[in-house]
Amino acid sequence: MNEQIILPEPDPIPLPAPYWLLKFLLVLTFILHIIAMNFALGGGFIAGITDLIGRKKNNQFYTNLSASLSKMLPIATAFTITLGIAPLLFVQVLYGQYFYTSSIIMAWPWLSVILLLIIGYYGYYIYQFNFEKLSGIRAWIVLGSAVLFAVIGLIYTNNLVLMLTPEKWAQKYFTNPHGTNLNFDDPTVIPRYLHFFVASISVAGLLVLIYGLGKINKDEKYGRWAIKYGGLWFVIGTIVQYAVGIWFLLSLKKEFLLLFMGENSLATIIFGVSVLLSLLSLILILLSFNALNPKPLAIGGIVSLFLTIAGMSIMRDILRNAYLQNYFKPEQFDVQIQISVLLVFAVVFVAGLITVGYMLSKVLKLKPTTA
Amino acid sequence: MNYPVWDIPLIGGGLLIGFVAIIHVFISHFAVGGGIYLALTERKAIKENNKALLDFLKKHSRFFLLLTVVLGAVSGVGIWFTIGLVHPSATSTLIHSYVFGWAIEWVFFIVEISAILIYYATWDKLDPKTHNIIGWIYFAGAYLSLVIINGILTFMLTTGSWTEIPFTEPSKKFWLGFFNPSYFPSLFIRTGVALALAGLYSLITATRLKDEDLRAELVQYSGKWLVPAFILIPVAGIWYISIIPPLAREISMGGAPAVTVFAALSVVFSLIIALFAWLGPIKTPRQTSFAFALGLLVIGFMVTAVTEWVREAVRKPYIIYEYMYSNSILKESADKINSLGTLNVAKWVSVKEINDENKLKAGEEIFKVQCQSCHTIDGYNGIKKLVNGWSETYIDFQLQHLDMLKGFMPPFYGTEQERKALAKWLYNLNK
Repeated sequence: MNEQIILPEPDPIPLPAPYWLLKFLLVLTFILHIIAMNFALGGGFIAGITDLIGRKKNNQFYTNLSASLSKMLPIATAFTITLGIAPLLFVQVLYGQYFYTSSIIMAWPWLSVILLLIIGYYGYYIYQFNFEKLSGIRAWIVLGSAVLFAVIGLIYTNNLVLMLTPEKWAQKYFTNPHGTNLNFDDPTVIPRYLHFFVASISVAGLLVLIYGLGKINKDEKYGRWAIKYGGLWFVIGTIVQYAVGIWFLLSLKKEFLLLFMGENSLATIIFGVSVLLSLLSLILILLSFNALNPKPLAIGGIVSLFLTIAGMSIMRDILRNAYLQNYFKPEQFDVQIQISVLLVFAVVFVAGLITVGYMLSKVLKLKPTTA
Repeated sequence: MNYPVWDIPLIGGGLLIGFVAIIHVFISHFAVGGGIYLALTERKAIKENNKALLDFLKKHSRFFLLLTVVLGAVSGVGIWFTIGLVHPSATSTLIHSYVFGWAIEWVFFIVEISAILIYYATWDKLDPKTHNIIGWIYFAGAYLSLVIINGILTFMLTTGSWTEIPFTEPSKKFWLGFFNPSYFPSLFIRTGVALALAGLYSLITATRLKDEDLRAELVQYSGKWLVPAFILIPVAGIWYISIIPPLAREISMGGAPAVTVFAALSVVFSLIIALFAWLGPIKTPRQTSFAFALGLLVIGFMVTAVTEWVREAVRKPYIIYEYMYSNSILKESADKINSLGTLNVAKWVSVKEINDENKLKAGEEIFKVQCQSCHTIDGYNGIKKLVNGWSETYIDFQLQHLDMLKGFMPPFYGTEQERKALAKWLYNLNK
């Protein structure tokens, strides 16, 4: 029974676009989602801790920063959710039979994501709208929300790893068909999760740094402080991340580990470049701390880190296909291109970007009075 | 049969979907109607240079933001999560048939969410005209997202010629499925509902205003937002009913007593809202209290609940009309299941061959893959009560003619031996 592998058939409906295009959209929208998610999750932890430090030290810089973060967190959450819809769509298009099955096996934890999200999200709004009123407990509210979001991430890692291991489904399902399983027996789940979690702290540190860059012209002292303070979160997070990353790599099956160690040249190159880019961003950010003009250095660091995230996301995709290599054969997809629908999508997409751009341009013009 | 069945004792999957869906529908239609309410009312306030009205809108937009962006949006994702768990095959069909339909909707979501966040954050900061434009952009995004989802939702009941068009004509298949026979009547009904909910929700904030005159003016103004619905919903409703499949019409008009009662309740509750909206906010705005407004909103919620329930129920025995039955069996795979057997075709069953020892277990497994999408054992729509007092032969007789005797049920598919095993297990539930 333990060795039984049951694999649902892929959906009989053909793909409406070539595999590569759907894959490209999957990875691209995942990158956008994960950046917003890092701001929303890591930002919550940084806001809460900064708030606590501010109270203890009675230092206005800390309190100001947490007040500013309180306004960014609901926005980051809104975009995490909205940007998350697209990769959730494309993963169901390409990997539906794996995704639905693993979700059903752990249905209750998976569904609880919705409830946790609603509570955590309202927590962020309570933090923003009652920032002055709630002086004492507000930090704990935002930290509580951040913890709920961290739990959501953990559930996601459980499911998205379970989805890649059909060998475990039958045994789990027949032992417990009530959807209350988890996937902690998989040794990669914890390090993989921590890899995402620690990244969210680092990247949210960069959000604070970007915020500092925006402030530097108006209030140089505060701006420089925010650059250093956010940068420090980033630097410490990234150093911890190297340890967690190695742990994650070593937790993988040897054949997957070797993919990134020369066996698959594309995977190896992306891995190498990504690690170098993260080192580069670390150095640039550190240098920006005391530079006369921190902007160019910091922006360089930010760009290299976003490229690192892109590289890591591509690696994640390579790893997914490696996990599923015995079952998932992209060349077997039947493709029937819906040209007119694709055209409408392209037009709507461009029009949507222009509309959002128009609105942002109106907001950015306000900067002097509101920033 | 392709996916494991999530076993949810007592409540069952259908009720779970209903719970999430009703909350979402009740808020998402407000998210659409409330959008045009904000944009139009702001325009009026700017024109009249009415500062008090603008202040009201500012407060109302906060309520709007907190309700639609959090609970409205997340419950929408919640429906997606829930249907994927309860009806994975049907979800997969909807996803795969309309991949770029969903992607287009996603773009509208991005516009919508960006607009409402900016709208709320820039009161008194942007010049009034530009701020109003952002409000209109929000409404456009929200309404267009309804325009998209309406195509996919109506497709499930009136698949139109979608089932006949081969996959080799993918674009034609997409558009004909999308703009299916019930697309427009449904769009008009939903538009009416959205406008009515805009009125009902704004009565909640309007009745709490302190300034007597402004309060009376706004209560009456908000009440009038229900008027288009009084006309749109009945007209489009009759159109809708005339266009849906005959069996669906029958189910709602006597064929299935529970569905008929709910359909009648939907009409009665709607009439109550119309009457009291007329007598209260429109005719006597000064006497209309917050409690009264809340009462109307609660009845509005009940209308949403029963109507959604009916809309789901009349689609039986299908989940996607003429294509997939409510238990996820594809109509075209019926012959295959009859010859190979349910247990052989179903992937996630622990019994593959029936013998004397495992007959009951086999019956239970067959129940799981063929019946459990609608029935629980002893909870919601519980089968134990339904077959109580029936003999084993009578159960077997029923199973042979399910689609004839109970029009809203799919036929039983499988071998004779399997049917007998299921009958035995069902009979034994009450022994």
